[in-house]
Amino acid sequence: MTMTHCSRRKFLGAIGATAGVWLGRPTMFLARPAPAGRVAVGMCPEYGPEVLTTMGTMFDQLGGLERLVRGKTVAIKLNLTGDAFTRLGYAPAGLTHWVHPNVVGATVHLLAKAGAYRIRLLESPISSAEPLEEFMLQANWEPKDFLSAGSRVEFENTNYLGFGKKYSRFMVPGGGLMFKGYDLNHSYEDCDVFVSLAKLKEHLTAGVTLTMKNCFGITPCTIYGDGSPEDEPGRVPMGGRGPFHAGNRLPSKSAPPLVDRSGSKEGGYRVPRVVADLVAARPVHLAIIDGIHTMTGGEGPWANPRRHVQPGLLIAGTNCVNTDAVGMALMGFDPMADRGTPPFETSDSTLRLAEQLGVGTRDLRQIEVVGTPISKGRFDFRSA
Amino acid sequence: MNLDPKWVPMNWPCGPLLWIPRDKPSFPDTARRETLEAWSQPAALDLLKGTPVNCLVVDWADGMPEDSAQQQTLSPLLEAGRRREIDFVGKVAAGEGTAAAVESARAAGLSAVMLKEPSSHSFDFPVILSFPRDKVAWQSATQIFTSTGNEWPGLKLDTMKGDTAIAGPTGVPWVNSNAWFSLLSNELAPGKTRWLDFDPPDAPNLAHPATYPLAVADSQAYGSRWIISLDDNFRTALLKGNPQATSVWRQTCETVTFFESHREWEGFQPQGILAVISDFRGDNAFLSGEVLNLLNRRKIQFQVMERSRALSTSTPGLKAMLWLDKDAPTAGQLAKLLAFVRQGGLLIATGYWGPSGVMPKNRDPSLDYKMYNVGQGQIAVCVEGFQDPYQVAGDTHLLVSRRNDLVRLYNPDTTNCHLSFDPDHKRRLVQILNYSPSAANFVTLWVNDRAKSARLWSPGARDSISIPGVPASPGTEFGLPTIAVNCALEVEGPNP
Repeated sequence: MTMTHCSRRKFLGAIGATAGVWLGRPTMFLARPAPAGRVAVGMCPEYGPEVLTTMGTMFDQLGGLERLVRGKTVAIKLNLTGDAFTRLGYAPAGLTHWVHPNVVGATVHLLAKAGAYRIRLLESPISSAEPLEEFMLQANWEPKDFLSAGSRVEFENTNYLGFGKKYSRFMVPGGGLMFKGYDLNHSYEDCDVFVSLAKLKEHLTAGVTLTMKNCFGITPCTIYGDGSPEDEPGRVPMGGRGPFHAGNRLPSKSAPPLVDRSGSKEGGYRVPRVVADLVAARPVHLAIIDGIHTMTGGEGPWANPRRHVQPGLLIAGTNCVNTDAVGMALMGFDPMADRGTPPFETSDSTLRLAEQLGVGTRDLRQIEVVGTPISKGRFDFRSA
Repeated sequence: MNLDPKWVPMNWPCGPLLWIPRDKPSFPDTARRETLEAWSQPAALDLLKGTPVNCLVVDWADGMPEDSAQQQTLSPLLEAGRRREIDFVGKVAAGEGTAAAVESARAAGLSAVMLKEPSSHSFDFPVILSFPRDKVAWQSATQIFTSTGNEWPGLKLDTMKGDTAIAGPTGVPWVNSNAWFSLLSNELAPGKTRWLDFDPPDAPNLAHPATYPLAVADSQAYGSRWIISLDDNFRTALLKGNPQATSVWRQTCETVTFFESHREWEGFQPQGILAVISDFRGDNAFLSGEVLNLLNRRKIQFQVMERSRALSTSTPGLKAMLWLDKDAPTAGQLAKLLAFVRQGGLLIATGYWGPSGVMPKNRDPSLDYKMYNVGQGQIAVCVEGFQDPYQVAGDTHLLVSRRNDLVRLYNPDTTNCHLSFDPDHKRRLVQILNYSPSAANFVTLWVNDRAKSARLWSPGARDSISIPGVPASPGTEFGLPTIAVNCALEVEGPNP
């Protein structure tokens, strides 16, 4: 295994590059080259104690978590797609389409160990305003395990207003590809560090589900859902995010408007743009992908054909586009691919769109991969 | 002759009363009349050979010319049935000379009559009272009683497109079931045998979207019996030896046999973590009934408690009580409720009846409840009052917390389950029912305790098979084989 260390200054520099994009003026933002950072890859065959050691090593390879999170509030968007009961065969969700609880626990532990002041676990469970802990219990997860993995660990269902008094507005630098901005649960603003903790898998609409597509789920269905009220956000979410896919209805009028009302109604066009908008508006500071066990064929058991597979991979980086590019390469795809080429047979590339927004580069030649080389860790999803 | 709780009843429509119905102006079509005539012949009883069915319900009346014709036509059938040790129950329509009908039933050798309403006469003859489901006079229910107005169990037919279910507002397929009524009846008429009287929905041909075995299973898994009732097309096809109808009939009888061979399960008791308290009558009947229905759909294990009897006995294992009615508890009940709360229990109600001076807190912004901490427990007061049964069931599950689930199903789709314990609390039984015409695959059952293995029983299979348990902290998971209609898992282990 190749191990390369970088200085904390360089590590923070990479983070700063992303944050700078967010803060920059639109014209400057679009003119800037997409940042290139470092991505760590670790081999980890199972969800045992080796998860913690592997992730610890990977974070060290990125320059260490301490300077990133010490004394900070860290928000972690988990990838818990679909409901808590649906499985691929008999396999628990954490082995196929959800990030595994042991990866969540290890992340929380390492963040806490690095000095994070507060850690919030976030997800927007489908069609529900129930407490996130209850959603986890349905899947037979034990929320107390996460509470004990660090101090001041909190949970919030971000599919509605939640514990906030108002929604937080995130405008997309440069004006946005689909919407000019997005109204989100307060947790995405009330944090210093934002982590996307995703699963290594394909996606029926967007080609791949990695750390960027994971952020699709930060949008509250009280505003963006099938049953959201016309004028103001609903009290509780109704339905899923079908309108993002099909453009069949607009979000509540209280939210920032569409960029182009005459735009395409095709999911493969719309979803990647929404995702690119979101990661530009709400930057990801730490991107982590669980690819130890996962599934092929799509983002959940409803995909067909699909298979439970075991690539034995963990991936982490400080730039979500860089990290997803390495993730794609490890899945056997070309991160420079676009519509018409696997895995983007029917969609535009979220990576390309985010790259154009200046979020990060997808060009592997510019990304420094540390730990396991891509050639050694590659697991071809289409021939698995 | 007494009412026999071991009767396995079946509706046996036949005879002139049905082809010359006094309350219907139109005559049945030729095919139906032929079927009605054929089913009044002793040879039709061959259908019951090798089945557990031992009690036939026939239409009966006295006082009109067609009533005599009915009695004469059925005479050979009754005689042949008695030789086969089959009992007959005469279903007497209301207001038709009940006393005369009962007397002629006795004379004809029937074992009992089924009456639609209590009679002012006292008959020295076994009577089964039949009530509309929403008007059961629980106190006067006979040792065997029947209810009408039940649902045909299964996916709600007008929410299906072909074999595909359309989700209801719950996000899960909309399922019709009589389970809640059976559970309610267990509480309100304990020790009595309950027959559910319902007919299959009309179908133009044999391609019936509903399944007869499920009608058996949905009744018996929850302690009731379905009065087996076949639709006209099906009965015609059976007489003609139609292979499809014969196969369905065989499966139906296998399901009946399955429950008959596990009669000890009737003595198993559900053990809930939640007590649902109401008088379940009058203005409270709809909300309370629908809440029971939806709690069952959510697989919450609950105990039904009739309000006047609530808290009269100890309630081990309870985590919460849901007081559905607006009526406040009596002073004695309130003392017990508050004792339950002080010891760590949760009371969910529409009013606060706890000690004064306690300031409420909101537990979660998604729940419109005021939470009062009392002792080690809490009182949750619904700010808006209980209005929507779906909301009440969902909120209750969250307030009680899924941490207290005793069972869960993964890939549940159209399945549901019912948990009960043997009298010694050493064995737990989980009955799993599939409400779809399509088989359920890759269903995983989770129980909240450790177990190395469990025994799986299925209709049509002579022996059980052993299913290994997979630890899934704090309990155990069992991967179930394909479920056509129903199965049952016996798990040996301590009481949770």
